[in-house]
Amino acid sequence: MHQRTVPCQYFAPQKTEEALKILFKYEKEIKVIAGGTDLLIQYYDRLYEINGWLDLKNIKELKEIRIHQNQMEIGAMVTHAQLEKSEDIKKYFPVLSKAAADIGSPQIRNRGTIGGNIVNASPAGDLLSPLMAYDAQFKLLSLQEEVVISAEGFFTGPKKTILEPAQLLTQIILPLPSERTYGSWIKIGKRRALIIATIALALVVEMAKDNKTVKDVRTCLGSVAPTPIEIKEIREKTVGKNFSQLDFNQLGQIVEDKISPIDDIRGTKEYRKDVAKKIMINALEEINAAWRLYNE
Amino acid sequence: MNKLTVELTINGEKRKVETTPSTRLLDLIRDDLRLTGTKEGCGKGECGACTVIMNGELVASCLVLAPQADGVTITTIEGIGNEKKLHPIQRAFIETGAVQCGFCTPGMILAAKKLLEENPHPTEEEIKRGISGNLCRCTGYQKIIDAIKLAANRLSTRDEERGEKDV
Repeated sequence: MHQRTVPCQYFAPQKTEEALKILFKYEKEIKVIAGGTDLLIQYYDRLYEINGWLDLKNIKELKEIRIHQNQMEIGAMVTHAQLEKSEDIKKYFPVLSKAAADIGSPQIRNRGTIGGNIVNASPAGDLLSPLMAYDAQFKLLSLQEEVVISAEGFFTGPKKTILEPAQLLTQIILPLPSERTYGSWIKIGKRRALIIATIALALVVEMAKDNKTVKDVRTCLGSVAPTPIEIKEIREKTVGKNFSQLDFNQLGQIVEDKISPIDDIRGTKEYRKDVAKKIMINALEEINAAWRLYNE
Repeated sequence: MNKLTVELTINGEKRKVETTPSTRLLDLIRDDLRLTGTKEGCGKGECGACTVIMNGELVASCLVLAPQADGVTITTIEGIGNEKKLHPIQRAFIETGAVQCGFCTPGMILAAKKLLEENPHPTEEEIKRGISGNLCRCTGYQKIIDAIKLAANRLSTRDEERGEKDV
């Protein structure tokens, strides 16, 4: 039987600074809650174990999406529904917008947040591969310091990150891509709503000024490794080449070879490898079609 | 366990409830406010039986802590209509046979209401997406979709007559 020594606390400060002070004081004794759509499921039958809540719902600055200089700044408390509906996100980061629209259900999208999705760090987190594909940086605040880290450096394993108990993820920073940037989002699951991805791919291709040569490619996948990952070999094989002359089949094969999925209830390793190749080819074809449409 | 007070407006009525930090909004609605039209199915946000409209948004009340609902406005199925004065969506559900065991019905009706507020003339695909967070274990989806189409028609006809758009 769980014995509570102190009464359960609940804090809902108005300012980030206050939240950081509370975190500094209680550290692991307190649970930070954003939308609660992962956390309350995780603690479904053991809510009594929680000694204190730090609810971020009243901190207005964490709910904003804004463009600042050449960057998009997204507050950690921005919901999936906000991401899905934001015209700026649709315009600059369509892959992120589509991924947000594929999360859960209307009920989940209205509560779940981008910050929660990141900190929860599920290998299947729907927003994680798109964020990585758009070269996202995460701002981590504590009373002592501000740290800005790349998505790649943030995730260390399934549900594991470098976030310290006294740190708060406050903002997601994305560089605004050029107009010659194309993207594709493919999520595979057993149904469309309320499904954890069996495999997901976020592919972002930026063309050079001639609009023919590949300038940069980011091929990021979820549910195929302990963390969301980028397949960097794709970049080596494509940058500087004419997009229409790429061998899509060969690139699909590279993705299949470089991922390390496991067998689980959502799919086998073999299935994931097969599908990885096919969705890579499909994503390249989708980008090819969009690029042709735009240039002809 | 620390006690705290949550104040909210539910179905147009202001209520003050003494609760605890880890109480779910669902339990506050059912046990403290005795509004048992809101159901608990899975308790994990997947079935939508506990759906309510909170500050104009569809939410699963099993995934909201009571103190997170401090200061909000909530509509539950009891705020939609009653036996004497059924809402057009409720009437359409009855007429098309969209109610079987009835357990998913409150959540379905709230999802339908929210959908028709935002999109008065939804396509079948849009209706499916609108109720994608609500499971019917009797599997009576087609009749639920038919009911929402019927309600959409009636509401838009009614609004044209009245010259207004409110659902």
